Parts: sequence; structure tokens; C-alpha cells
Amino acid sequence: MAKKMGRRARKFAKKNLQSVMKRKRKLNALFQKKFAPRQEKSDSPEESKNLKNDMQTPVDPEQEILDGIVSTNPFGDLFIKEDDDSGADVSDSDGYLSEDPECPYISEDEEESCPEEMCKDVVLLEQNTEINQRLKNQKRKLSKLCKKDPQFSKFLESRRSEFLKSKSEEIYSDDEGDTSSMDDEYIVGNEISQVSKVITSSTVDVWCWLVMEQPNWPGLANLLNAFRAACHYGLDTGEVSPVKIANREVFCKILTFVLSEAKGIFCGLLRISGFSNKETILKMKNKPEWKTTRSLIKSFLRSSLFLLNQETDNQILVFVLSQIRLSILLFSAFPSLTKKLIKISIHLWVTGDKDLSASSFLILRDIASEFSLDNIDTCLTKGFGAFIANSKFMKPQNIEHIEFLENSVVELYSLDIQKSYQKVLMSVQQLASILRLALKTKEKDELKKIHSWQYINCISLWVKFVSCNYKNHDLQQLLFLIIGVIKGIAHLFPGPRYLPLRFKCVKMLNQLSFSSGVFIPVESLLFDCLEIRGTNNAEGTKLKHLDLALLLKVPNQLLKSQDFQQASVLSAIKLLAEHLSQWCYHVSFPDLATIPLILLKRFHENTSIESVRRPVKRFIDQVQQNSDFIQRKRDQVSFSPKDKESVDSFLQLEKCDRSAAFTKFYDNMLQNALA
Amino acid sequence: MGKKRKVILPPDLPPEVADNDIEVSDEDLEFIGQNREYAGFLTKLDTKSIDRHVKRVAGHESDDLEALYEQRKRKASLLKRNDDDDKLQVDPVDALPVKTLDGKLEYRTVDRTKSEAITNEKDNTEENEKDMSVVKLTKKEKRLKIKKSRKEAKKEAKVEEKGNVGVEKLHTEVLAKVEEDLSAEELFRKKKIKLAEIGLQLLENPEENIKSLKELLKNCDDGNQNIVKLGLMSLLAVFKDIIPGYRIRLPTEKEMEMTVSKAVLKQRFYESTLLNSYKAYLAKLIAMEKKPSLRQVAVRCLASLLDAVPHFNYRENILAIVIKNISSPDDTIRKLCCNATKSIFLNEGKHGGEATFEAVRLIAQQVKIYECQLHPDSIEVLSSLTFDEDIGKPDTQAEAVKIKKKGKWKTPDGSNKLQGSEKKKTRQESLAKTREEVTADFKSVSFAPDSRERKRMQSETLSAVFEIYFRILKHSTDSHASRSTTDAASFSHGSSSLPLLAPCLKGLGKFSHLIDLDFMGDLMRCLKQLAGYSDHGTIQNPLSVSERLQCCIVAFRVMRNNLEALNIDLQDFFVQLYNLLLEYRPDRDQGEVLAEALKIMLCEGKQHDMQRAAAFIKRLATFSLSYGSAEAMAALVTLKHLLQKNSKCRNLLENDAGGGSLSGLVSKYQPDATDPNLSGALGSVLWELSLLTKHYNSSISSMAASIMSMGSVNPAQSQVFLSTASPLQAFRDSSILCELSKPTSKSATSRQKQRELQKDYVLMDPEVMQNGNLVDEDEVRRKLEDRFAVHKVITENERLRKELNHTLSSISLYEEYNRQKKQKRRRTTKRVLGD
Repeated sequence: MAKKMGRRARKFAKKNLQSVMKRKRKLNALFQKKFAPRQEKSDSPEESKNLKNDMQTPVDPEQEILDGIVSTNPFGDLFIKEDDDSGADVSDSDGYLSEDPECPYISEDEEESCPEEMCKDVVLLEQNTEINQRLKNQKRKLSKLCKKDPQFSKFLESRRSEFLKSKSEEIYSDDEGDTSSMDDEYIVGNEISQVSKVITSSTVDVWCWLVMEQPNWPGLANLLNAFRAACHYGLDTGEVSPVKIANREVFCKILTFVLSEAKGIFCGLLRISGFSNKETILKMKNKPEWKTTRSLIKSFLRSSLFLLNQETDNQILVFVLSQIRLSILLFSAFPSLTKKLIKISIHLWVTGDKDLSASSFLILRDIASEFSLDNIDTCLTKGFGAFIANSKFMKPQNIEHIEFLENSVVELYSLDIQKSYQKVLMSVQQLASILRLALKTKEKDELKKIHSWQYINCISLWVKFVSCNYKNHDLQQLLFLIIGVIKGIAHLFPGPRYLPLRFKCVKMLNQLSFSSGVFIPVESLLFDCLEIRGTNNAEGTKLKHLDLALLLKVPNQLLKSQDFQQASVLSAIKLLAEHLSQWCYHVSFPDLATIPLILLKRFHENTSIESVRRPVKRFIDQVQQNSDFIQRKRDQVSFSPKDKESVDSFLQLEKCDRSAAFTKFYDNMLQNALA
Repeated sequence: MGKKRKVILPPDLPPEVADNDIEVSDEDLEFIGQNREYAGFLTKLDTKSIDRHVKRVAGHESDDLEALYEQRKRKASLLKRNDDDDKLQVDPVDALPVKTLDGKLEYRTVDRTKSEAITNEKDNTEENEKDMSVVKLTKKEKRLKIKKSRKEAKKEAKVEEKGNVGVEKLHTEVLAKVEEDLSAEELFRKKKIKLAEIGLQLLENPEENIKSLKELLKNCDDGNQNIVKLGLMSLLAVFKDIIPGYRIRLPTEKEMEMTVSKAVLKQRFYESTLLNSYKAYLAKLIAMEKKPSLRQVAVRCLASLLDAVPHFNYRENILAIVIKNISSPDDTIRKLCCNATKSIFLNEGKHGGEATFEAVRLIAQQVKIYECQLHPDSIEVLSSLTFDEDIGKPDTQAEAVKIKKKGKWKTPDGSNKLQGSEKKKTRQESLAKTREEVTADFKSVSFAPDSRERKRMQSETLSAVFEIYFRILKHSTDSHASRSTTDAASFSHGSSSLPLLAPCLKGLGKFSHLIDLDFMGDLMRCLKQLAGYSDHGTIQNPLSVSERLQCCIVAFRVMRNNLEALNIDLQDFFVQLYNLLLEYRPDRDQGEVLAEALKIMLCEGKQHDMQRAAAFIKRLATFSLSYGSAEAMAALVTLKHLLQKNSKCRNLLENDAGGGSLSGLVSKYQPDATDPNLSGALGSVLWELSLLTKHYNSSISSMAASIMSMGSVNPAQSQVFLSTASPLQAFRDSSILCELSKPTSKSATSRQKQRELQKDYVLMDPEVMQNGNLVDEDEVRRKLEDRFAVHKVITENERLRKELNHTLSSISLYEEYNRQKKQKRRRTTKRVLGD
């Protein structure tokens, strides 16, 4: 509100209090020389806040003086840009920097004569010419009227000023447009001697060269202002920027140069070799140079964030992100900007394509690993929230993306286990309580909650987390809880319709068992699908490819189809192989394989689906072979089951070599699946 | 003035008093003579109270009348009603508004209905009073009165307009008017209120108002279904309340002829009216039961009647309907019927067991008629039956006498138990003693018929129950045989084709101790067939695994109770169990049944053959490797039991070369053998346990560890390990819900000492991540330029549009300007003119 008021008041002043403005400008010029050292103050947030307040009462003479002191802009205008995303930082003003008046501007008529050539949007261009034509006609008409009746022009003026009193913004800009000449290059004719400096490509070249040559060159502010203007290009609402970008080359040059060289420039300014870690930044804050560079850095960061917010093209975004990432530690000095950055990065991470997602993830990871605890918290919470919100649906297109998101969340959470453990535990407990309720009530709504991708993806996320970190941390409690939840899910949805869900559960259990080394029996969960009997005639709808990974529940029409049976039997065998392969060197392997073997043999005899016979047979043979192998080996040993050490050391050599036939078979199977 | 006051005080001045006057006066004249002294006595009464009453009611009447009126009122409250009443009604005071005896009641009804239309209320009270007066009259005069009163009631409106009381006229007029205007809705409301009133009166004083039952019954013929339902329900409430605790026996012809006292006559009248109405009510209900729209209400009424008054007349009819609906496809109806039947079974005290037998017999008929295709609930109810074994046992008679005498009921001579071997009796003797004390207490409070009778009934009931069960079993085995050829669809179990088998098996298990030995052989054969395992897998057997396990359980229960008498080889059932362990699927079959089977077949009972025990031990160990924790826990508990009992089997825990020497017939372990005796399990080693110690569930891993340590302990000490937990208990304790509810600790203790950030990637490939960041800068540049161009055009467009709009509006302003100019000019000219 205050901002808005400020801007309105400012405009009002500009429009109606010309004399005041003029006086102010005079004062400015005066103060500029007298209080030169105080210039730097103007950009601290407190000051600018003050400033904004002051703007509301521009008639107060004392305030004017103050204005004069702080506003050192040679052009007598200080812009306070209202950011689109203003929620986070009230105290952070986003304005142009005070510029160095001596900065060289090289005038050069290199304005593009016809932007038409450049632009591909033909429709818009046509529209523009058409409107232009109409405008000319109307103007002619108007001027005729004015000539005819000079009284009318006066009348018009009075009307306009009346209007302006009630409404400000639109009319104001209208006015400006009206009074400016047809030439769209310069804004002239207004009472305010508002001249935007045009930055030509040679100007930029000179600036760049100067910046690179002398680190303390004061014209850096001008360059950053130009950068800001470029970032805001095309989106300024009613504000006049002090710089005008001449053409696309300039635009491009400014953006790429500033983004890619920012790190070097600021390092030079702060006299440090680079931003290696947090300590450097802390140290840097105490340096005297910090005071001078702070506003410059802030302007740069803010403009970059604005660009990130506005830009839609993935490649540009990736570029910007990767450049920002080089100097990411600068953000740690500005907490509110960091929050903004997190917000934007999470948005891009979740919605962007592969590259963009990856680069935003890198930003997040950097923030989480380098920044203060607060930021880690935000990163973890928001990252998890965004993942959950985006994992509602599984489609062939987004399955990879969701997996990436899942992996990145695990990465983020693995950064600081101590901290994230609480969060994970809470989340899993929440899942468990939902499940408990569903087990008790068996109500449809509760079941639906569990039988959703969100729930399953969440579980699978934590499974991944546990299996990644089990080795280095004591996550036993969490492990048991998760196993309980997964078993509960499998128990809650029996029947062939939910086989895909069950396969997922088994997969997760295998994953957990594999990483933690505990024994989790899963065989009984898979026996069901060996008993599905469908219609023997294969007349039903033949699907090209039935991907069980994309389903939680099998649609009814597929339930009896051969495709489904085939797919489920094959998945079951795969999971069973996964389970058995983990224990294929264990002394009790033959016993572990007993029941599956009996059932599989029976299935092999009875099945009517020819296509699964061969893989089943092959699997049976392999398991049998391994079983015989272990049997032979253990017949030779003399220790008893209770001799724990001997049991543990049984066939360890072979295990390390991965020499058993079954391991090879399993590896082969995995490779086939990948191919 | 008087008129006005009457209108103001409607409750006090019910005009129908006139009816009574006319009705009663002639007949009752003589009473005045007889009872004159009463009147005289009453004149001496307290005048103060008289005044109080009179002032309020009829200030305009003459003093005489007032006095008389008051006298009568006092009398009514002081003396017995009937006699005085009649006399007083002859008095001229009858013209007065307040009715004789029931002043209190009348006020109440009036109060309640004050808000209602006057006409309505009048209508009701009129009817009530009619009834009341009728009751007051002697029975002889009754019928005449009714007819008379009805006629007169009709005439009244016309004839008596100019009668003694003027108010009457007013009221009837209003009545007529209002009745015309009554909408259907009001009618409904009126009827509702009427129902409530009659019902309330009946409940307040059933003896006096018994005639209202007819009135209520009439309501049930209403065209409006809602009224009918309400009528039925209110009648239900009334009957539940007023039906006496005994069965009404109507007097015979002979008895009718005998002269009896007035009270008896009255009682007779009351009972016959009640019974007749009840009969009519039931007839109505039974008729309505056939209409789909009213079926639910009718069944609800019947069921609750059966529940509340099973001892009363016409129970058979109710029972027949209720049992007919016991397997109704409608859930609510079925529930109602089942619950009513259960309450019959459970509260035998209410009806002395007769109804139980009838109900069971009816269910048996149903089963027979529908060829076992009923809803499982209809058999389920049988399990609430209780059979008291002690009734009339000759052996326990002596003791029974004592207790039964205390309880005020006759001692039976219960020697005519239909069947029962001496052996069984002696066995149960000891049991009986302990049970007696409990049952005696129950009996003493519940009234029961002759115990011999009860005994007979009970045994009949029992045989009917077993008839049902055997019929179902027979049917199942038959269809089993016929069905085995057809391929049952994948997951559907037998329960769909044999809906009654599951509850039947449950019931058999429950009553297994009561089964007659003669049937035993057949029963076992049946069960064996049903549990039958075929080598070709489950498909061949339409029964589900649970059902087959249940068969085994029942067989064992039966055998356990009669083991001494029979010597049937249970080996077959062990084979079944051995193989069924493989068929079991955790979420399809009931784990509790499995646990129970393990308990009954393996944990309890005598020692097992060593081969068999070893085979089971091995199989259970293997089983627990493949199945969930609940099942595994149950299996391990059983395994432990077996190891404890069969010390020689502990050799399985040791891997020693000599193990083979014990193995007998088969020297090498055959995991896929179907017969436990031929599996050669004695030669195997329980390697499973070593993997089970790695089980994620801590209770299972510790259990496995404790089992492993059993081998080293010498047999003498092993008793210490005898755990009391049964497999069933173990199963329940480790169910998924329990597993989920375990508390979890709040903190993770990291294996790394210090809080240290993990900088390495745990999942992703860092190389890939870094490479993904490379962007083609030229491409970016090109895109940036494009962006610039597009934005430029857009801003241009916006600016032009604004300008155009502005110019257009300026031009449009011109017209306004012209108008204003004209006005100004006109004004100035005006002013000029005015000047």
C-alpha cells in the first residue's frame, strides 16, 4: 500500500507540482557536489524506505531537502520498481542504481530501422501498421478540429486535468504518449525533462571493456542499470527507465556479459579470489568494500531473479541459472532474495524440462548444502511439497521426470540426515496413521487416499531415502516402520486387480531388503498371480504394450486378458528373481526356494499361456540349479544353523566373485529389461 | 354472557356430555335409588374445594347444580368408579362440561392438544368418551350401547341443535365447516395426532381403553401408506406394552355359561378384545408382508413382536413369517429376522424353549426346500443356540431337585433322553456338576416348563440342528463331486456355490461335543472328502482353503471330544494340513483359521509320530520363510511346541552326519512330497532358522534364535521354554495393524559422530549432472534476440493502441464540447434576454 501510495504521489507530483520538482532538481545538483560521499547511503533498504514515505508528502520543504540529499540521481528521478512478486520483501526496494554521470555514452544511429525483419510475429506487425494508419487519420481529424476551434483544445486540456485528478496511471501514460511525437524513439515534449539515455552497442562494448579493465570503475552502476532495464524489458508498467536499449544486439550483449562476468566483477570489487564457501561471504561482509558493492550486488541479483521469473524459454533459463549458480553464495547475504530464489528454483525444478529441472535442482542443492539452516529447512519442506503436488499422475511422458524429482528430493534430504530424519519420520508416521485408519475402517475414502499415486510415490521416495542412507546411519526404526506400511498396503488391497500395486510394494521391499541386509519375505505376495485364470481365448482387446509400472489398478476389461496375465507373471518372476538373487549365496537358499519352486512347477504344468512357459521354465531351472549347488556345498560343511559366524561366512568368496550361475542369470535378466 | 364464557373455556366444557346423558340416563335410573346414600354422604364434603372447582368451570349455573356437580366430582375421586359413575350420570349435572371420573386425564389431553383446532380436539374426545362410557356399562348392555351411540352421534349434529346446550350447535357448525377445508396434509397431521392420542390412552389405562385397539386397527387400512406405517408401529408399541406375561386362553363354552363375578367378566372381555385385535393385527401384518412397499415395516413389527412376546398366542404364525424372511436378499429385513431368531435362541426363558424348536424346525425346512442355496446368515443364527446338557439327567437329578425346588419349579424325571450312551453320560457327569450351579441360577429367575418337556424339546432341537448341518454337508459333498469337473474361475472360492458350508462348519465345531456317536463315522467321511486334497492343485477343489482347514478343525474337534470312543485314523487330515500350508494365501484366506488349525492339530493332543512331527517342523520352517510375519509367527510357535514335545526332533537343529540314521524309510529330504511320512524330513537340517534370524521383524528373529538354542539345552531343562502362547495368539499379536502401531523412537543416531554435510551424491551421477548444465551460448543469444524483438513489437503495439484510444476519445469529446458551447450560448442569450 505504501508503495502504491508513494508511486501515485510521485506521479501526482511530477504532473502537478512542476515547480517543486524543478526546485528539487536544482537542489540535487547542489547537493551532489557537496555531499558526494553520502551517495552510497541511498541504496540501503532503510533509506529507500524512508524515501518512499517521503514521496507521499512531496510538498513538505524539509522533505524536499532530504530528497535532494538522498536522491542523487543526476536525472532527478528515482524509480522504485514494484516487483511482481513483492510478498517476500517489503524492505527490499528494487530500483535503479545511482549512475555515474561521467560515464561515456556513444551516440550512434544504429537504431533498427525496421524491426519487422527481425520479428517473426507477422500478425502483430500487421496489426501495428494498421493501427498506426488509423491513428494518423484520427490525429489529423483532431488537429483539424483544434484548428477550427481553438477553444476546443483548451477544453480538452481542462478535461484531461480533471480526469487526472481522479485517475492517475493510465491517463498519465496516455498523456505522455499523446504528447510525445510520433517518433517512438525519444520521449520528448513532456514537461519533465525526462531523457532516457540510449545505449548503443558501441557504448556497451566500451563499458564492458572498462569494467573488465578496471575493477573499480564507477560506471558499473550504469551497466547494471542497463542490465536491469534489459531484464525488465518489455514488462515495465508505466515507468520510464533511464536507459534505453537500442537494439537486440545490445540487449543480448548486456545480458550475457553481465550474467557471465558477474562473478569475476564482484570478486574483483571485493578483492577476493572467489566464493568458495560460506566463511568467505561472512568475512567479506566485514570488509570495507562490502559497503560499496552491496547495492550493486543486490541490484544484479534482483534483476536476475526478475529475469528468471519472466523468462519462459528453457534454454535461456538454464543459461541464467547456471550463471547465477557460479555466484550463488552472494545470495546468502540477502535472505529475502534467497527465499525468492528458492521459490523460483522449485517452481522451475518441478515444471521445467530435463535440463532446466537439473540446473534448478543444482541451485537448490547448493542452497541446501551451503546456506544457513533456515534455508535448508525451506528447501526440504518446499521441495517435498512440490514433489508431492506433482506426483499425482503417472504418465509415460512424466515417469522419467518424476523419477528425477524423486531422486533429487532424496539427494536434498540426504545432505543432512540429522536434520531430515525428523521430517522423514514424521512423514512416514503420517502415512502409517492414514493406513491404520484405513485398515480399521475400510472406508472407501480412506482406501482411496492410499490407493493413489501420491501416497505410493511418497512411500517410494522414503524407501529410496532409507536405502540410500541405511549404510551410514542408524535408520532402523524408520526402516521397520516403512516395511510395516508397505506390508499394510499390500494387505489392504488383495486380489488380482491390484497386482500392479502389489508389484510396486514387493519392489520396494526388495530394495529395502537389499540395502539393509534384513530378510523380508515377499514370496507369498507374489504367489497370487500364479493363480490367475483368465479366458483362454485371446479374443479380447489386444494391447500393444501393457506397462504395469503405470498402473495401480488393472482396468476391468484387462483383468481377464492374456496380456495382463503374461505381464503379471513375468513381473512376478522378475521380482522373485530379485528376491532370490539377494540370498542366492545364503546357506538356506534351497529352503527359501522350496515353496516357490513347488508352486512354479505346478503353474508351469497347468498354464495355458504359451508365451510365459519358456521364461518360467528357464527360471525354474536356474533356481533349481542354484539350489542344488548350495545343497551340495552345505552338505560338505559341518557347522550347525546356530553357528552364526560360520553361516555368515558361508560362500562369501563366491558372493564377492558373483560367480554363481544364478547371479549371472539375474544380471542377464536386468540387462534384458534395460535393453 | 354464559355462552361467551363457554367458548373461552373450551377444555372445561366438552359438549358431548350431552351424548352421555342421552345414552345412559334410561338404563341407569335405578342406580340412583340403590346408591342414594352415597349421594347423601357426599353432600357433607368440604365446600371450599367445591367452590374452587365450580367457580372455574360453570359460574353461571344455579347453586344447586353446582353443588351436585361438585359432589359428583368428589365422589369420583374417592369411590370406586363403576358403580357411582353410572348413578351420577343420571344426574342433571351431566349437562355440565366436565366428565365424571377422568378429570385429570381429560385435562391432560386437552392441554396437549390445545394448539390444535378446536374441532379436531372435540372430535377426538367425543370418540374417547364414547368408548369409555361403553366400558363402564355392564357387558350385557355393551353392544346395544355402541350401536346406539353411533347412531346418535350422527344424529346429534342435526337433532340436538336446539337441545339443552347451545354450544353444541356452535361446535358442530365449526366442525362441518372446517372439515370441508381440510387439505390432505392437515388430514395426515390430524390422523397422526389421533394415533398418538389413542396410543397414549391405551398405554395409560389399557383396561379402560382396550376398545381403542379397534380404532387403531382401522387406521391401518388407510389409503395413505405413511399412516398405515405409523398405525402399525403404534400398534406395535401398544401391544408390546399391554400384552400380559402369559398366554391367553379363551373361555370354553362351558365356562361361558357359568356365572362369574363382574371382575372376571370384565377380565374376560378385556382378554378377548385384546386377543381378537392382536389376531387381526397379525393378519394385517402377514398380509402386508407380501406387499413389497410395506414389507420392511411389517417384518420389523413381526420381528420385534417375536423378540418381545414370544410366549404369547399366535407365535407360530409370526415365527413362520420371520423364518421365511431369514435369508431375504434385503439386508435390513434379513438382519431383523436374524436378530429376532437369535433372541429367541438366547432368551429361552421367555418362551420355555418351544419357540426354539419351532424356529430350528422351520429353518430346517427352508434349507431343505431351497437345497442349501440360502444366505449364510440363516445358518449362522444357529450358532447362538445353547444346549443345556444337564436337564433331567438321572444322575444329577438329586442335586437338581434341591436347586430347582428353590427356584420354584417342578423336578423332572428326565430319563427319556432320546439317545445317549452310558459312556458319554459318565464323562459329562463331572462337567455337569460345575455347570449346574451356573445354570441353576439362570433357571431360577427364568420361568421354564416342565424339565422333562424341556429335555425332550432340546433333544429334538438338537437333532433338527444336526439334520440341517448334515444336509448341508451332504449337499456340499455331492456338489463337490459333480463340480470337480467344471473349472472354477480363478479367484472365486467355493463359498459362492456353497454358501452355507462355512457357517455350517463353524456350527459343527461349536456343537461337536453333542454329536451323536452314530453319526460320527459318516461325519468324518464327509469331512475327509470335503477337505480332500488332490494332487492337481486347488482348481479341482471348489472349497476354499479356509473351508478345508475348517473341515480339518471340525474333524479334530469332534474326535477330541470322543476320542476314547472312536478309533479313526486322522492321518488323512494331517496330510491335508501338510499340503494346505502351501495353498494358503495370506490375504485371500483367513489366517486365523490356519492358526487355529495349527493349534488344534499340532499343538494340542497326543504326541505325534516322529516322522510326521519332523515333516511338519521342516515344513513350518520353510513356510515361515515365505510368508508374512503373522503367519510366520504362528508357524514358529507351533514349531517350537513340536520341538518341545518331540525331543528327538531336535536333531534337526544340528547339522551332524548321523542325522540320516534316524530318517528311516526315506534317507534324503524330499521337499515336494505330499505325504509328511514320506518326506524324509528327519534327515534335514533347519537351515531356515539362520535366515529367519535376519528377519526384519524383531520378534520373529528372536523367536528363531530361541528355537535354535533349544538343541543345546538338555531335555530336562526344556520345560522352562514351554511358552504359553498359542499360534492363534501369536498370529493376532503380529498382525499388520499391531505392527504398524509400534512406537518409533524420535531421533536418528548417526554413525558419523559429527553433524557433517554429506557432499557426495547418493543417487545421481555427478558427471551427468554437471554436463546437463552446458548450454549452447549462441543458441541462447539467438533466443535472447528473438525475445527482444518480440517484446519490442508488443510494446509498440500497446503504445499505439493507447494512443489511438486517446485520440478517439478526444474526438468524441468534441461533441460534448459543442453541446456545452451551445448551452453556454443559450444561457448567455437568456441572460441577455433576461437583462
